[in-house]
Parts: sequence; C-alpha cells; structure tokens
Amino acid sequence: MASQPMNSSMPPNDTYGGDEIQAIILDAGYSSVRAGFAGEDTPKSFFSSSYGVTGNRTIFSDEDIHNPLLPELEIRNPMSKEGIVEDWDAATQLWEHAITSRLIRTKQGDPRKNGLNDVGGKDGVDVDMDAPDEEEKPLEEHPLLITETAWNTSKNREKAIEIAMENWGVPAFWLARNSVMASFAAGKATALVIDLGASTASVICIHDGLILKKSVQKSPLAGNWVSSQIRSLFGSVDPKVEVTPHFMISSKTPVDAGAPAQATYQKFENKITDSFRASEEERVLTEFKESVVQVYPGPGRLHYPHPVNGILNLENVKMSPGRVFEFPDGSNQMWGVDRMRIVEGLFDEKYALPTSEPPITKAQTIPEMVRASVSAVDVDLRPALLANIVVTGGTTLLQGFTDRLNWEISSLFPSARIKITAAGLTSERRFGSWVGGSILGSLGTFHQMWISRKEYEEFGASVVEKRCK
Amino acid sequence: MTSHDVRDMLDLPQEGAARPIKKQKVAAPRPVLKGLAREVQNLSGDNPIAIVPEGSIFKKRRFASRKPAAKWELRPFRNSARSDDSLILRHWRRLDEKRKLPPQPAGENRDSATQTMEGVVGGEEQMEDSGFAKFNVQVELFDYSPEEYESRLRSEDWTKDETDYLMKMVSQFDLRWPIIWDRYEYEPPIPEQAPSEADGNARAIIVAPKTRSMEDLKARYYAVTATMMVIRKPPIKMNSAEFSLHEVMLNFNPEQEKARKIFAENSFLRTKEEAREEESLLLELKRINARSERFSDERRELYARLDAPSSSSHTNNFTSSVGLGQLLQQLMSMDKSKKQRKSIMGGEGISPAGPSGPTQQNPDHRRESSARESISGPSAPNNKKGPPNPAERRQLSKEEEEMYGVSRHERIGTSGPAFRQEKIFKPLLAKSMNQQKIINNVLTELEIPPRLIMPTADVGESYDGLLTSINNLLDCRKVADKLTAEINIARAQKAERERLARESENAGEGGDVGAGAETVVGTGGKGNSGAPGSVNGTTTTTTTGPGPTNSEPRNEEKAGSPTASVKGVAHKRSASVMSAVSDKSAKRQKK
Ligand SMILES: Nc1ncnc2c1ncn2[C@@H]1O[C@H](COP(=O)(O)OP(=O)(O)OP(=O)(O)O)[C@@H](O)[C@H]1O
Ligand SMILES: [Mg+2]
Repeated sequence: MASQPMNSSMPPNDTYGGDEIQAIILDAGYSSVRAGFAGEDTPKSFFSSSYGVTGNRTIFSDEDIHNPLLPELEIRNPMSKEGIVEDWDAATQLWEHAITSRLIRTKQGDPRKNGLNDVGGKDGVDVDMDAPDEEEKPLEEHPLLITETAWNTSKNREKAIEIAMENWGVPAFWLARNSVMASFAAGKATALVIDLGASTASVICIHDGLILKKSVQKSPLAGNWVSSQIRSLFGSVDPKVEVTPHFMISSKTPVDAGAPAQATYQKFENKITDSFRASEEERVLTEFKESVVQVYPGPGRLHYPHPVNGILNLENVKMSPGRVFEFPDGSNQMWGVDRMRIVEGLFDEKYALPTSEPPITKAQTIPEMVRASVSAVDVDLRPALLANIVVTGGTTLLQGFTDRLNWEISSLFPSARIKITAAGLTSERRFGSWVGGSILGSLGTFHQMWISRKEYEEFGASVVEKRCK
Repeated sequence: MTSHDVRDMLDLPQEGAARPIKKQKVAAPRPVLKGLAREVQNLSGDNPIAIVPEGSIFKKRRFASRKPAAKWELRPFRNSARSDDSLILRHWRRLDEKRKLPPQPAGENRDSATQTMEGVVGGEEQMEDSGFAKFNVQVELFDYSPEEYESRLRSEDWTKDETDYLMKMVSQFDLRWPIIWDRYEYEPPIPEQAPSEADGNARAIIVAPKTRSMEDLKARYYAVTATMMVIRKPPIKMNSAEFSLHEVMLNFNPEQEKARKIFAENSFLRTKEEAREEESLLLELKRINARSERFSDERRELYARLDAPSSSSHTNNFTSSVGLGQLLQQLMSMDKSKKQRKSIMGGEGISPAGPSGPTQQNPDHRRESSARESISGPSAPNNKKGPPNPAERRQLSKEEEEMYGVSRHERIGTSGPAFRQEKIFKPLLAKSMNQQKIINNVLTELEIPPRLIMPTADVGESYDGLLTSINNLLDCRKVADKLTAEINIARAQKAERERLARESENAGEGGDVGAGAETVVGTGGKGNSGAPGSVNGTTTTTTTGPGPTNSEPRNEEKAGSPTASVKGVAHKRSASVMSAVSDKSAKRQKK
C-alpha cells in the first residue's frame, strides 16, 4: 500500500459527490419495510410489514409473527391496499422497530471511547453504553429520508414529518417518491418507472428527478393480485390444490407427482386465526411465484390466435416442459401452461383468471398503463422516457417479465427506441427505491434540500407539501 | 491422457489460443524433471497450467512504516446554500492537528453526542461550510413591478395574478417546462364578495381555469422575459449571448411549435406497418433521386465530352515536343477541374481526335497519384482544386447589424465614400469654362479661396448656397443684359425713326444732321448711366481685367459701346450685392 498512498483525509468529493451524514433511509412497502444508512448498497434492516396482535399485545418481530403458538395471533398490515399508510400508530411503531432494532439500537459511542479503537486497553474508563437517556428520541443524530408513493395523500405526508420530528426527533427530514428513487438507483434522472410491488403496480414518468403528476398510473395488478390468481388456479384444477402452510405440517413422506399428500398435521391448542393462516399461505404462494410462475416472454401474447412460425403460442408452450412444485405437505405436481396463464392477465385482461374480486379492466393492464402514462407527457419527452424504462419491485422478478414487457412496449410504440433497465440482482430489484434513497441521502448536494427541524417548527407540517414536490 | 484431453475436460481453448503471457513463461528453459514430476509435466504439455503461482507477487507488509491510526472526528458543518442557517449536519473528517480539541479530562462521563453538540455551540464561528454549497445555482428571473406590468406586460389572455403564478412556477421548477406544465394548476382567486348572500353568485362567476398548453406557458413567459430584458438593458448593450437569447424568446412562435408537436406525435404513434411503409417509400424516393442524379450526371459528362477542344485545325502545333507539353498541361488542368468525371463508355471510347498519347497516359497518371495519396493517408492535402476561395467578407445579418449599431446610407451606397470637397466642386465642374471663370472671379472678389479650408458640412452648405446665389446672379445679369440690349435697340430704332421723321419734316436742314446725331447719342448715354465718365472707367476695367468674358465682345459687336457701358454698371451692382451676400458666408467660413 505504500506505493499507492491514499489520501483519506477528504472523501473524493469531485468524483461522486458523496458526503455522508449518517442519514437513515426508510422505504416502507406493503410487503416489507426497508431501512438502512445512506451510502450503503443494501438496507441493513429488512422487516415484514406485517405485525401481530395477540390479546392486547402488539408484536413487531420477524420471528414472532410466524409463531403459531401465540394465542389468537392476528396478522395485520398498517398499509392500505394502495400501498400507503392506513394505521399510523402501528406504522410508527413498526418503522421505529425496524430502525432501532438493527441500525441504532445501541447509541453510537464516541469512537475514542467505545472500546473498538482502544490500543492495548490504555484507556481504562468504562463507558456506560447501555444506558439510553429516557428523554432522548431515537433519531436525534440522523437525518431521515422516507419514501412514499406518488399517490400519497397530503394528510399522510404531513403525518410522516410530524412523526419523524415529534416522535423521533430527527434533525432533518425528507420525503422522496419511491419511483424517483428507483430511477436514481438505476442512475437515471429521467425515466419511465414501472414498479410492481405487492399491493400496487404503477407506471410513472420521471423528468429530471421529479414525477410528472399527470403521468401517474396505478393498478392493483401486482404481487397480491398474482397470489389471488394462483389461488384461483389452484381452485380450478382437478383435483383442487389446497395450500397447507408449513406450520401445519409435522412430518411428510414423499409422494409421486399428482398423488395425494401423505403428511401428519400439527395440532394446536390455541385458535389459528384466518389472518395468520393467510399470511402463512402467502409465504407458500411467494415460493410458488418465485420457482414456478412464469410470464410468457413473447413475441406475441400467450393467447395470440394466429400461428407464429406455423404454431400457436399456446400450443408451443404446452409442448415445452413444465415445472414441478412440491407443497409443504409433500404433494407435488407438474405445472405446464398454467404457470403462464396465471400472469397473462398482467398484460391481457381477457385472460385473467376469475377471482372473488371484480374482474380487472383493460386500463389496469401494464401495457395500457404505459400507454396512458406516456401519452400524458409532452411529446418531446417521450423518446427519452422510452429509452430509459426502469423496472423495479418484487413482482417484476417473475421470470420472463422484462422480455414480455419489452415486446409489449415495442408493439405499442413501434417507431420508438425502447430500452429497459432492470437490475440484475434480486436485492437491487426489490430494494430499488431504497437504493435510490441511499444514493440521494449520501450526496453532498442534497444537504441543502433537507427540511430542517427549524423549518418544520417555523412552517409546520405543511412545509413538506411546499418542499417535497 | 494428453494435455489435449485435459484441456477438453476443463473447457480451455485449444493450444493455438494460448495467451501470450503464458507463452513468455514457456520460453524460459524448463528444468529436466524426473519421475512423477515428469509425468505431471507431460500432462500439462507445453503450456503448464499454473496452479500455484511461482513465488509471491505480493509485497510484504511493511510494519516498519506503520504509523499510528489516523484520528477521525464527526465534524459538524453547515451548508450556506440553505435558506435557513440552523441545520447542522455532521460528517466524518480526519482530525486536523491544528484544530484538535484539547484532550478531554479523564473520567468525564459524557457521550459523544453531547460533547460534539457543545463543540458546535462553542465553535460556531469557525464551522466549515459544505463544499457543495457552491453547486447551488438558481435560475435568474426578471421580476417586474406592478407599474411595469401595467405599462408593458398587460395581456388579454393573462391576468397579472396568473402571470405571477407562472413566474413562480418557472423559478420553482428551474425552467423545466415539462414539469411546469405538468404541475400547472392555476386557480383564479375567488373574487371577494359579500360573504353570505353572494355566495351562489360567486360560484357562478368563477371562470373555469383555462387549460394552458405548454406552448401557451412558454409564449407568455418568453414575452414577459423578453420585454423585461429590453427594459433592463437595451439590445445595443447586450452581449451576444444575451442578445441571441432575447432574439430566441422574441421569435418564439407557439403556433409553429404546436404544429411541430402534433407532427411529432403523429410520427411517434405510427404503427409498425406505417413506419415500415414510410421507410420503404423514403428508400424508394432516395433511389429515384439517386438514379435521376446519376442520369443527369452522365448526360452532363456526355456533353462535356462532345464539346472537347477541336483539334483538327492546329495539328501542327502539337508536332513539336513543346506543343505537346502545352497540350498535356492544358488537358491536365481541364481534367482536374472535372475531377469527378466518370467514364461512361469504357473510358477512351470517345477520346478527342487529337494526339492520343497524353490523354491515354492521363488515367494512369491519375491512378498513380491517387494511390500515392491514399498511401500518404487521409491527412495529406487532397485539395487539387486550387487555392481555397478567398475568405469572403462576412456579411452581417440583420440582427447583428442591429446589435452592432450599423446604419446604412443611400448616398454612400452606390459610389462608395467620397470627400465633401468633391461634392462641393461637382456643381462647379458641370459649368462651362467661361462660367467657371466668372464664378471664380466673384469668389476671388469675395476673398473666398476656391478650395475650402475646412469643408465641414455646415460650411459646405453655406458654400453651396453662395454658389447658387452666384448662379442666380449670373442668370439675372444675363437676362438683364438681354433686356437692356433690346431696349437700346428699340430706342435706337425709335431715335432713327424720329430722326427720319424730323428729316422728312425739315428736309431743308440737312447740314445739321451730324450735330443732331451726336447730341442724341450723348443724351442717350446720359439717360442710361447718368455718369458717362464712370461708364468709361468700368468699360476699361472689364476689358483690361483678368477675366473678360466671351459674351462681352459679342455683345459689343451687336449693340456697340452703349451696351458695354451698361454691362459695366450691372457688373458693379452685382458685385456690391454679392459682397452683401458673401459677407455672411465669409464670416461663417471663418468659423
Ligand atoms: N422472485 C419473485 N418472483 C415473483 N414475485 C416475487 C419475487 N420476489 C418477491 N415477489 C413478490 O413481490 C412482492 C414484494 O415486492 P416489493 O417488495 O417490491 O413490494 P413492496 O414495495 O413492499 O410493496 P408495494 O410497492 O406494493 O408497497 C410480493 O408480493 C412478493 O410475493
Ligand atoms: Mg414498492
């Protein structure tokens, strides 16, 4: 290292403009809460958005909410079906837990005295680290950046700054749109962001780091909807597939494909609530999504009525090998063309499987949202947007999704140049908006943007409407 | 098992594709190995697969140079780009020796937060500013006073309130029009009315907010800004960037922009088939164009060959080597001028009838030279068309002229600049020699030099005036001369008639004729001038003077001495008049 002296006294400001101030980024979605320090590449704290209620005890813990032994454990989610906060009390506690449990539980000590830098124990003073000041608020030293959806209500936005300032005592605060953050994570300031999370799918045009409000399109065709499609499929195949979550199985024996399960089931003294069971079933479904479900990648749609290269797309898929999935109870089955039919509704509303919910409309499908979103912006911007399509959110991890999306958008805008940017790493795709927040929060030029405590005290919560556009 | 198999198994490229670096190693002489080692070596063949690197390429850590770990501190700083001064953020910075705080007394039980916060309070003055504050740039906007708005910026379509709103949006979103347009939600203020009763009315009055297109917004903003720019700084004083900005804003045409966007939208929404069709049509058009171009090229070429120099007549010229050399030169230059000439019918098909030797050499020569050119690379000067056109005088555009304050005058336009002197002498030069002389006489009499000492515009003007009055005078004199001559003749005739009548009356007194005649002449002379002596005097001066005119002798011939005397008087008078006139001009000239 001697031959390559490193000047570490100043971070290389001129190269990437970073200047870290230990800001915390909080990105809360319907399915999970992501929190971590700005400047890092993955959130250190990753929690399920669900919390448990048993009796009058509220449980915020990734382990305990999966514990069937807790009496009458109800699983709840503070987020609404639109992916915005509904239950602020729970959300506040949940988020605080996510931050304090993994990021700043022990108050950061002075590095000279916290023992980590001691050389040979010269410093004999024992610093009392585990005595948190009761008066102190958890985030007094950390600016906080929270992400929000483009359709967040202004009441909700004001509530967010209130909690950050009043409850957590942050010195500075910012609310960022999660779609903008996702585009930042992809290194773009102007982009068309397609985000399929758990509760909502959205298509939003970003120009120069600001969302174009007229272009905001959202629909429920996201992870939860895919789960309901899977359930619908399970109910329609013969024999019906019953999803039995892991916690109910005490042991299982392997069986042949298609054969009934041979497993012994767990007995519980306490009542298992519907919400708990649903939440556990959802885990199985997510597994199914990850390993079986596949989007027909195109070209063309799955149900395209004319033969391509002498064969119908559907027939072509039927001939290709299927995938086997083993349920927790040991029953397993080959999933052929059905694994694609589940998600065809994302692109083609006519082939969505029937669910208890009202049928989806054409306008809710991804291609139609893209069309509507792009048509709502200035013509001059459109080529740039279509050349910078950013795909983010967990549901876009469905196999074949980006290929199909590419085909759909190309056929919508045949004369435009389409380029889709989708992070290759699973974590980057799922944490897109957190990563963008992490980048933004560590930029030196962002220091002037923060809403400071003084500004909050001066203008009140409405300052957030004025500043965070 | 050979190295080939090992490679096959490991999916390595075959021997030929070995990397050069490895070859280098192979070049080194290899020790002769024995036993198992040799077997292993045979396995790997010529290119040993290095598993263990030979010797360590890593340097050993130099513990000797290890210094104590650098100290870092969580240093507070503020950002001057912020509107409020209160936000103090902290980042890790290497502890600066000079700034180092005195060591904390041991046993002090304070944690870092309180410590640094106190440091902040104490050392607020020298707290550093963020290095990023300088990147905070803001759009410069022109703001207008209400008076300025009233006088210059009023518009039928825009209220002041909405204009204010627009300007606010523009500054808020830093002139990013797509965003401004996206977020533009102007609501006209609710007119204040009596609160309770007029409530229903008020709602009825409220006009639905106009939907503004991006072009409307731009047009308004540009109009306002262009006007304000001119108010703040007249176009003459703007620098070129400002001026061109002003021009651009002034010339913004929302209609054209709208039409362009509609066009862009249409082309954007073309279906695949339409796009393909358009593409193929364009290709077809290109092909047709290219074909017709080639056709006309060939035709031109053909014509050029047809009017080759007629060589039949002067074949003798080319019999000598000198003549041939000249011809070659001539042809070469012709050839160069038509460089892109292509052969249409196999090259020498229609070569001119002249000696074919040089012409046939020509293509070879050309090929050679072009080959040389290509060898020497593209950077070699390839310009054989002679020196580049002399730089044309730059023509100022209309805007530039306005900017630089260039003004054009018609009188200079045609013949270029000229001396005022010349302009003054132009009317003089148009006169006949005689008149020039007279005028010069007058001028010398007035003591005005023929060449003006200081021909300023004013002086020239009065000089002009002087000349015209001299001219007038001369004209007057001419007329007067004519009239007096006629009067004299008439008188003489009358006298003659009277004399004849008297003669006929007194037929007897014939002897008195001579004396009578004398008296008549005498009285005639007296009646005209009243001072015969002076008349004589002037007559002599005119005759002996430096410029006797041509007309005078003629007059004398016609009318005899009386006219001459009259003339003298007229001259005298005119001179006196003139002195009166020229007094003024002389004074002016002295100025
Ligand atoms: N590999 C995968 N394949 C398919 N779906 C997946 C995969 N991994 C996660 N998902 C789904 O993605 C969803 C979670 O995505 P994400 O974390 O982006 O949502 P979120 O941001 O919490 O929700 P929202 O954006 O709606 O508030 C879940 O529904 C999950 O089932
Ligand atoms: Mg999300």
